[in-house]
Amino acid sequence: MDSASGSDIIAFLRRNRMAESDIPSEQVRPRTAAAPFDPRIVAFLCNWCSYAGADLAGISRIQYPPSVRVIRVPCSGRVDPFHILKALQEGADGVLVSGCHPGDCHYLTGNYVARRRFAVLHDLLDFFGIEPGRVTFSWVSAAEGERFAELVRHTTERVRALGPMSRLARNATARVVQ
Amino acid sequence: MSTEAALRDRCRALLQSGEVALVVGYRAARTGGNCTPAFVTGPDQAELLVLDKTCHHNLAAYLPGLRHKGRVAVVSTGPTSRSIVNLLKENQFDRKDLHIIGVPDPSSAPASNVRNAVLFDEFIGDKADEPAPAPDQDLAAFEAKTPAERWEILFADLSNCIRCYACRQVCPNCYCPTCFVDASRPQRVGRTPDRSDTIMFHVMRAMHMAGRCVECGACARACPMGIDLMVINRKVAAIVRDRFGHVSGMSLDDPLPLTTFTPEDGQEFIE
Repeated sequence: MDSASGSDIIAFLRRNRMAESDIPSEQVRPRTAAAPFDPRIVAFLCNWCSYAGADLAGISRIQYPPSVRVIRVPCSGRVDPFHILKALQEGADGVLVSGCHPGDCHYLTGNYVARRRFAVLHDLLDFFGIEPGRVTFSWVSAAEGERFAELVRHTTERVRALGPMSRLARNATARVVQ
Repeated sequence: MSTEAALRDRCRALLQSGEVALVVGYRAARTGGNCTPAFVTGPDQAELLVLDKTCHHNLAAYLPGLRHKGRVAVVSTGPTSRSIVNLLKENQFDRKDLHIIGVPDPSSAPASNVRNAVLFDEFIGDKADEPAPAPDQDLAAFEAKTPAERWEILFADLSNCIRCYACRQVCPNCYCPTCFVDASRPQRVGRTPDRSDTIMFHVMRAMHMAGRCVECGACARACPMGIDLMVINRKVAAIVRDRFGHVSGMSLDDPLPLTTFTPEDGQEFIE
């Protein structure tokens, strides 16, 4: 998806409810009790660095798990906490947000402002008991293809260990609490 | 002369001289119980104004709706004045059009630990003793629980939410022309009975309070379902205080914490 307005991002998340059919069948096993759990991760990548870093990982033929679905954003500062929560609600098991290293922002200060916002969101998710491990924040430059691949591997394993998203996911919370 | 009588006299004088067109204060509720807001436009109505221990409302919530309606005087307790500070910082009201009458918080059960107005043009009455800052025992006890326990408690409490948005309506911070829960293009928060939508609303509400909530407790008092919204608000305030050293609404000079940054901000959570 192209670098986007807010309505595009939300429409994308809703349209692609991270359905099984969304992923090529040879890459994913159906979710059954017997099969191991393949997490689905939405990655918000800054156009100027992390997106290019992911591209470098691709053209360098570096292998990493096919668990991420990339949404390209103009800056990590564009990522509203709402987008992160919406992804988790609409079927993602984890979210990865990656931008330029501090000092390298294409817009000079976008990632610094984003960092404060993400710090509050990180602490707030922990407070609510929504595992903070589901939401990973990272800085990846355009030259760090291997670092991006390692980040995806690491994030995938951590979300796999946490299991499917239930706390914020739509329909999963419709149970009765005593 | 009692503070209440002095307040009436002063408001009468302000209206008589034409210095202000309107006084926003408190009046006795017709049905008894907590005081309701009073909008006094004439000197003869100044007798309506009261100041007693049931004056809980955060009157700053009315200011965004009173823009460009002449000069307004507001009876401001500690929480109200802190909200006014935030509204001024967010350019929601013109300081020239505002006459702040500071009063000590007369409320019997103040939610906030700042009782006297922090920003005022004049102060009426004797300043109340500010309680010494104390560690937040309730919040610490809640945070000591496991994440699963915290989730179960908050989820059970928030599941009672009927999404009437009374918490938003009374909040001085919530002045957006279109709230994110009402936005329909795109629709952000679903209007379904699914509880994930309710949780989304409350997490996002908490995010929007970061660095802005003055802990006046208006939302929790307005909640018809008795949800403990203050535990969330106090946590958000604690996050901002601990991470950025910012206490909301205490000074016109500090920038709002989420609109600024320092290169040294903590990033231990970033990989």
